[in-house]
Amino acid sequence: MPETIVETADLTKVYKRGKVDVPALRGVDIKIRKGEIICIAGPSGSGKTTLLNLIGGIDTPTTGKVFVNEVDLTTLGETELADFRLKNVGFVFQFYNLIPTLTALENVEIPLVLAKVPKKDRISRASELLELVGLKHRMLHKPDELSGGEQQRVAIARALANNPSLVLADEPTGDLDSETATALMDLVEDLNKVRNQNFIISTHDPLVMQRGTRVYTIKDGKIEK
Amino acid sequence: MSSWTIGFRSLKRRRLRTGLTVSGIVVGVALMAVLLALLQGMNVQFTEMLRGIGGADITVYNATTPTREREFMIQPYDTTNQSYADIIKNNISEVYAVSPTLAVNGVVNGTQCTITGIEPDTYDAVTGGLNIMSGTSLPEGEEHAVVLGKVLSDSLGASIGDAVSVGTTTTETQSFIVVGIFETGMSFFDRSCYIHLDVAQNLTEKHGLISTILVKCTNPDVVDYVANTIQILIEGVRVVTQKILVQQVSQITNTLGVFIGAIGIVALIAGSFGVMNTMAMSVFERTREIGVLKAIGARNSTILKMFLAEASLIGILSGVIGCIIGVIAAFAFPIFSRVATRGSAGIPLLVTPVVTPTILGIALALGLTVSILAGLYPAWRAARMKTVEALRHA
Repeated sequence: MPETIVETADLTKVYKRGKVDVPALRGVDIKIRKGEIICIAGPSGSGKTTLLNLIGGIDTPTTGKVFVNEVDLTTLGETELADFRLKNVGFVFQFYNLIPTLTALENVEIPLVLAKVPKKDRISRASELLELVGLKHRMLHKPDELSGGEQQRVAIARALANNPSLVLADEPTGDLDSETATALMDLVEDLNKVRNQNFIISTHDPLVMQRGTRVYTIKDGKIEK
Repeated sequence: MSSWTIGFRSLKRRRLRTGLTVSGIVVGVALMAVLLALLQGMNVQFTEMLRGIGGADITVYNATTPTREREFMIQPYDTTNQSYADIIKNNISEVYAVSPTLAVNGVVNGTQCTITGIEPDTYDAVTGGLNIMSGTSLPEGEEHAVVLGKVLSDSLGASIGDAVSVGTTTTETQSFIVVGIFETGMSFFDRSCYIHLDVAQNLTEKHGLISTILVKCTNPDVVDYVANTIQILIEGVRVVTQKILVQQVSQITNTLGVFIGAIGIVALIAGSFGVMNTMAMSVFERTREIGVLKAIGARNSTILKMFLAEASLIGILSGVIGCIIGVIAAFAFPIFSRVATRGSAGIPLLVTPVVTPTILGIALALGLTVSILAGLYPAWRAARMKTVEALRHA
């Protein structure tokens, strides 16, 4: 029985640029079931990132509701949202966004540190995850010693650290060549199959879209199909 | 891995900037440590100076010597009549002993120093006597005997039995035999020498004149009464009790303390702007990092802690380096000032800084506090950043 992991209801988001209101989302209703890889496609400025941010609880909607694991995110305060993200959501960004002063292992440890996991468990869990993404041998390297593809794998390992029900990836292949992007998507598919890991990926890369269980196309802040 | 690790790595990554920032606080901390050590040294010295004038409850000297430093015998006083000593002794029954002394600027073997003429018996009765290290005090009847301070005898290379030339100028000197060497632990006294009062008067042609009368009372409770009586009895003298002296000394050191504290604080505030700037830069540069950390679940308080840890590290590093430099400077200070004042024995301002754990603690704590305070606003701004906006930051 596929259960719903994400549900949005008439979600809108309006940004204020000075005195001008810029609508980014105009009533989005989506429903995502457990075990899916969802692609959100659309041109830049269409509202992909905004939608991901709202689902991930790093931004709050102007109107509407977001439910993740049946929790209404709009009812949570700032600190509650932080704790929610820590336990339920992993983030992967286009430019990897690893902490440059920390090694691959330490980067993966960060969410575990935030979750107050004891040091010993932390290190074994982080190295397991790096092994899972095929980077065990690069564990003690700093981000600037890793290729783009490797950095993105570290980012995925970091996103998985606290066993989140949901991994949100914002244009994860946007900065990678097609070969590396394919390898990365292979990893995403593997993780989905083996661990039943949910992914929501914003992209305009056809290579990514073909791997999705479903693709939502978003245009001018509305879902097209 | 913790906030400390992240802060430490961040500081390590920007070594030059960290170094410069730390230097700013180091200057303040080191300055504070040296100044406090000097103040402490002064306190110790003043205390010893009071002990140096020994058991004298009251000092009497010419009222025309107005400046405060003369109250500390830094310069020989104007003279007054020796007969006053007898007036005091004979008219006030509460007086236990009276000792007139004459301090003049003189020359011993070409070295300038203060020469003090004393009556050994009354001087001993009032003050308990000089702290003789070797030899004896001034023997009765031996006119050309001199007792040298430890520092003076060391610098002259003179020992017991040696003949030294003593005079008010380098040209008019007489030969004296060194009979004893004393030490008070206080440089001004240890750079001076003592001869018989009448000999000093002859040498300086100040017959019947003295600079100070030291008075010892029969018991401590009558000191104020005796002082008042002396003031009424004799015109034109200033009467200072040891109690007043102590008050004045602590007043001076307190004033100095405030002054010194102000200088140190100003230096630290100047340094704090460096810390604030560095922390603001660090927050700005790491805006996206802050966004990422918040996105993956860091609370605002975690971000605040992270940047405060960074500021604290700057503070700890600065505090430790500042204290080390401060201690080195404090120990180097007497060497420099000794070089600077060599040969001019009349200047007794050789304060030896005294470094105590308290001083280091204060300096360290100030460095740390200033750094944390300076880091507070940038850290607060980092914590308050909107996650989405921080992530969008280039």
